[in-house]
This record gives sequence, structure tokens and C-alpha cells, in this order.
Amino acid sequence: MSLEELAFLALAVVAVATALLALLVRELVHTILWIAIFFVDLAAIYFLLEAPFLGVLQLGVYAGAVTVLLLFGIMVTRKRIFSREAATGIGPIPLALALVTFIFLVSAVGELPQSEVPVRSYAPSALSVLLFGTDGAWLLLLGLVMLAGVSGAIYLVREGRD
Amino acid sequence: MTTLALTGFLGLSAALLGVGVFGILTRRNFILLLIAVEVAMNAAILNFVYFAAFPPNGGSGLSGQAIAVVLIGFAATEVAVGLAIVLALNRLKGTINVAQATDLKL
Repeated sequence: MSLEELAFLALAVVAVATALLALLVRELVHTILWIAIFFVDLAAIYFLLEAPFLGVLQLGVYAGAVTVLLLFGIMVTRKRIFSREAATGIGPIPLALALVTFIFLVSAVGELPQSEVPVRSYAPSALSVLLFGTDGAWLLLLGLVMLAGVSGAIYLVREGRD
Repeated sequence: MTTLALTGFLGLSAALLGVGVFGILTRRNFILLLIAVEVAMNAAILNFVYFAAFPPNGGSGLSGQAIAVVLIGFAATEVAVGLAIVLALNRLKGTINVAQATDLKL
């Protein structure tokens, strides 16, 4: 087993474990800590897949901004931020549905070739040519969606409404 | 040069989507619900990056990475809107339990 495969296996185990822990622990602040580790772990997988720009973006946007936003949401909505969630029973139906999703997807994965392929790497400049070329349609679309989303968010939280 | 098998990666994103579905179905706290959606969304973004790294028929998979960039931006927007809903819900109902958000009118 090569070093890259070993690294991927370790990262994959950490990703699934931290995602599960984040959704199962009862203290919301611990959830944020686990999900931060999950995001950093995914950034490491992007670096392993030779997509350094996406890795940095994942660290900046997810591990940075999204984590802090979620923490802010918890701070605003609770009186004591370390208070515990009420325990929710894990019913058999959600577990079964999640397992069905997983098994369905894995059975589709099983039809792909199993052989090892060299990872195709791209220069970040090629990605920027694709993103900013032809008048930057990708980024304009992203900017418009973000503008609409932030306007909607401000509309929702504005003061003095009845 | 890194060589890896594609199937392990797809198995990981399938597992992450399963975890996300599980979280969406079990948790009642709006913020935990948002986190579960983020986990599921990250599974999708991961798939785009895989297929950019392993393009079919030796073509260029660079648009996969471009879509991943756009999706990361969409996810950040989604969290911002989700938290605005959390704050509005908290102000109106005094709770962020989704089971008590029974009407659409905010």
C-alpha cells in the first residue's frame, strides 16, 4: 500500500468519524469543534487530490467563515453556550434510510473500474482562466446568487417588523 | 505523481452523504440541521473534485474544479441565509427547535 493510499484512508476515517461525532454529541459547542476538524480534513483531501486552490478555499470559507458563523448562531440563540441539547432518540427509520442511501450509492460505485489511476493535476492559473475567462460568467453567477442570498438574509433579520 | 483508486473516494462521499441524511432526519435543532446539510453538500463537492482529478477518457476535468469553487460559494451563502432564519425564528418563537416552527409566516 502506497503512502498516498495510507494518507487517504486515514483522512477518510477521520472525515466520517468527525461528521458522525458532530451530529451525535450533545453539546453544541463540541459539535462546532468536530465540524471544524471535518472541514480541515476535507481540505487535506483536496490537497491530496492535487487541487491546492480548492484546499485553500475550503480552509478559508468552510473552516474559517462557516464555522464562525455557526458559532455566532449558537452564541446568539442560547443563554449559556455550553448548555446541553435534549437527548433525541435515534429512531430506526432515519438510521435505515441513511443506510439505504449509503448502500445504494456504494452499489453504484462497485461498477466502476478498481484500478489505480494517476491523479490529474492542473495549474491554478488554468483554473483561473476558466473562472475569469469569457467575462467571468462563473463568478458573476456566484456573485449574483450571493447578493440575492445576503439581501434575503438582511430582510429576514431586520428590526422593526410586525 | 500520486496514484489512487477512484472507488475509495466515491465510497467516502457516499458515506458522508449517508451521515448527512441521518443528521437531517434525526436532529431537531436548526443549527445541527444546517451542519448536516453542510456535510451532505461537502460530499457532493468532494465528488466534483474527484472527477476533476480522474477525468474520464483522459480529457480535461477542470470544469469540475470550477463547479466546486462555485459550490463552495453557494454553501457559504446558504449558511448565511440559514442563520438569518435561525435568528428570525429565535426572535419570534424563542426556540430554534424545528418541530415548533409550524407555520411559514415569519
